[in-house]
Amino acid sequence: MPFIKIDEKEFEVAKGTTVLQAALANGIEIPHYCYHPVLEVVGSCRMCLVQVEGMPKLQASCNTLIGEAPSNKKLDGKYDMVVNTQTDVVKQERKNILEFLLLNHPLDCPVCDQAGECYLQDYTFKYGNAHSRFKEEKRVRPSEFLGSNIVINQDRCILCSRCVRFTREISGTNELFVQNRGYHSKVSILEDKPLENLMAGNVADICPVGALLNTDYIHKNRFWNLDTIPSVCQDCSAGCNVDVFSQRDEIFRLTPRENHDVNGYFMCDIGRYGFHRFEEIERVNQPLVRNGKSFDVIDWAEAIQKTADLIEQSNGKTAGIVSPFHTNESNFLLGLMINGILGMLPAIQAEEITYPYGFRISADRSPNQRGMNDICGGLAKDLSSEIKKQAIRGLYILDDGVDRELDDAWKEILANMDFLIVQSYAMTDLSKLAHIVLPGLAPYEREGTITNDQDRIQWLRPSLSIKAESKPDWEILMLVNNALNKKAENFTGLDDVIIKMGEQFPNYSGITLFKIATQGIALNGKKM
Amino acid sequence: MSAFKPVLTQHIYQQDCHTLPFYQSVGGYTALEKVLTMDPEDVIDVVKNSNLRGRGGAGFPAGIKWGFLPKDMVKPTYLINNADESEPGTFKDRLLINKAPHQMLEGMLIAAYAIRCNLAFIYIRGEFYKEAEVLEKVLSEAYAANLLGKNILGSKYDLDVIVHRGAGAYICGEETALIESLEGKRGCPRLKPPFPALEGYLKCPTIVNNVETLSNLPHIINRGAEWFRSIGPEKGPGPKLYCVSGCVNSPGVFEEPMGTSLKKLIYENAGGIKNDNQLKAVLPGGSSSAILTAEEAVTLNMDFDSLMDAKTMLGSAGIIVMDDTVNMVQACLNIARFYAHESCGQCTPCREGTTWLVKMLTRMVQGGGKAGDIKMLYEITDNIGGLIDFSKGSFGKTICPFGEAVAWPIRSFVEKFESEFINYIPQQETVA
Repeated sequence: MPFIKIDEKEFEVAKGTTVLQAALANGIEIPHYCYHPVLEVVGSCRMCLVQVEGMPKLQASCNTLIGEAPSNKKLDGKYDMVVNTQTDVVKQERKNILEFLLLNHPLDCPVCDQAGECYLQDYTFKYGNAHSRFKEEKRVRPSEFLGSNIVINQDRCILCSRCVRFTREISGTNELFVQNRGYHSKVSILEDKPLENLMAGNVADICPVGALLNTDYIHKNRFWNLDTIPSVCQDCSAGCNVDVFSQRDEIFRLTPRENHDVNGYFMCDIGRYGFHRFEEIERVNQPLVRNGKSFDVIDWAEAIQKTADLIEQSNGKTAGIVSPFHTNESNFLLGLMINGILGMLPAIQAEEITYPYGFRISADRSPNQRGMNDICGGLAKDLSSEIKKQAIRGLYILDDGVDRELDDAWKEILANMDFLIVQSYAMTDLSKLAHIVLPGLAPYEREGTITNDQDRIQWLRPSLSIKAESKPDWEILMLVNNALNKKAENFTGLDDVIIKMGEQFPNYSGITLFKIATQGIALNGKKM
Repeated sequence: MSAFKPVLTQHIYQQDCHTLPFYQSVGGYTALEKVLTMDPEDVIDVVKNSNLRGRGGAGFPAGIKWGFLPKDMVKPTYLINNADESEPGTFKDRLLINKAPHQMLEGMLIAAYAIRCNLAFIYIRGEFYKEAEVLEKVLSEAYAANLLGKNILGSKYDLDVIVHRGAGAYICGEETALIESLEGKRGCPRLKPPFPALEGYLKCPTIVNNVETLSNLPHIINRGAEWFRSIGPEKGPGPKLYCVSGCVNSPGVFEEPMGTSLKKLIYENAGGIKNDNQLKAVLPGGSSSAILTAEEAVTLNMDFDSLMDAKTMLGSAGIIVMDDTVNMVQACLNIARFYAHESCGQCTPCREGTTWLVKMLTRMVQGGGKAGDIKMLYEITDNIGGLIDFSKGSFGKTICPFGEAVAWPIRSFVEKFESEFINYIPQQETVA
């Protein structure tokens, strides 16, 4: 392995690593724009120039490969390469490049959405000049829509071409290209082929400056006002890692969070804009009990007792319907509580999409199908016929929160039950049929673990506070269970439930939220 | 040394000199016949021995370039004839294509055979549509005479040649941008390494040679490397086409040995300065070379090393002559405009810097000069093209040499004619 020195740090790196990769991996900052770990190296921004000893001119660190020097040619007798990133020449060169990049930049940081997370801003502050020497007139160009969700502010664009390479190499959709030449270059689309693909939102994330922006978020908030919660996307079973940005109980945007075992650097637009679905739903805020055609509000103690009574009276003829939209913990507790059959409603399926880079949108558009199967042990294969066979009289339903068309067999079952208990956060079709509605939490409010379709357990973290009188779903289930069975265990928190889950399902043993952390744990080949 | 007899342009004044029968009547394709019996490695050795240096601009030794090809080739090798002649002040390749196309094609065949290539391209400048037509005719003649195609002259060697027209971009004369363009992409130079000899056209080993370089090959094969080396300086010998343009009485292409004095070219070949004006300055190697003052110019010989020592370059040998009526600031702006227009736009310094120069020079020419402008011109050119320190070779801040090609001439204009630039800065500005 080549042994190199960058500034004062010495370390070994794998042969064929670039100087920039080696520096970044070892905590040395080399400013760069056009380099992105998964995109082709183009070396065009010239920001990452460094001095490599023995080379006459500055080298683009993104394109300088580290190899082994023959033993008689090692620098200082031991180094395969010596790189300086802090010499006067390098510092001056950074100033020069930033000066060029800022020539026509409008310096409109106060109204720019990227401000606060902008590399042009950061690098200028850290490496650039405080004053401009440019006395000529600045170029002004109009902003343009590249697609329905992406707008480009041409004045702020530094032409790093990350977005262009993204559409070529990652999404493979080729919408973007650089139009015109030289000074007139601009990122553009063909009139009849706008940037409309399910990965389009990512171009705004990988844009190092404020050129590409999501219209969904534009001018809505400032980066520094937002709280960031690392969580997991809940729109398909791939389980992309995301950061949820919110302020005062309102989500403003989702961005992908780097996880090389799951989504790499990206996420799809279904997940990115999915949070809007929960903004204007008809929430269930209090426990409800049926009174003829309408519902009466009751308090929690009464609602729990009534539920427990109904289940007890049915004499084991209550079936539980678990949900692939709920956490492992909620599904597990429903399983503990129901002393009969468990099953699920027909799954929600859509088209499976795989992009050239390997990014995948799963056909299974529920986040936790795998987890649900894992910790419910023996779900009924054909729940509707099983219900008839066993003369089930009542259903306890963990509601998906997603309305769907049910077939006649299901409609008949739901209509003929003695009672339906629906645990849901919304007044869905199912909730409307219920005898008792127990208000749980909506996505982005709930916490727990979910398992993606590659057997990785991940921590779903809440970004929004609990609304009105709703309770966490696992807590509701625990309360009902305790009312049914005085000996049932009292869990003080999610970790307690996870431990219990691990006792019953060895695959999940030894897991804690702390261990799952931000990157998750692979259940197959789990190493604790 | 006896009087020099033109080699490459020997027959250009004769009728039908572009046709195959004519070329064959003056001994054409005999070098090819000879080469087809040789081992390709031996052909490369002959060219290496001849010290033939590339005539496109960079002056890289052709034989050494061929030697960079991987030894155990699995992928096919390609030869590209760079006929994208677009350097301002250069028009020698056009002459060779029009008047001696078979000589060039024979050179291509020799080169292709030496590098074991079976598909070669002629990348011709978009504006050369007539020349492209000439080449198409030449190729059909050659195919008909079995000089191209399968089993050439019964030697079991196959070669196809395709003429590809550019779309009018100067940057596509840079070999990697040319390859990108040939692949159907945007003509932007590639990051090097890898060099085209390892990964060129379609990521296969590729050699790009200039029209004039290739045209020299039949003569080297026929007359030997010794003969070639005897013409002009040892390190960069051979006959050379010089394009003289600008303020001279009879501009044109003149074939002289490498190392001919600039004075002879201007005053004898090109008939001296127009209207008996005084010589003021000369760009010796196209607009990308640093300018020479009259005093420097008359003492210099036109070869790679002499000009390099004078901190300029032979480049494409496009000699642009300026007399004392020329306004150097406006000439400088003219050149800056050209480069701003032709910059491909991928590297920051070149994309932004070239237009900055134009805006600044325009302001100066329009009477808006400001104190400090001259210092800025130096700094901007340095920031685009690097500190011009020939001894250390510490230049180049961009992916391709375009950055230097802008910086060198403009910086030299300011350096050598600073007083004219100062005249463009109003008095009150200089006091302030």
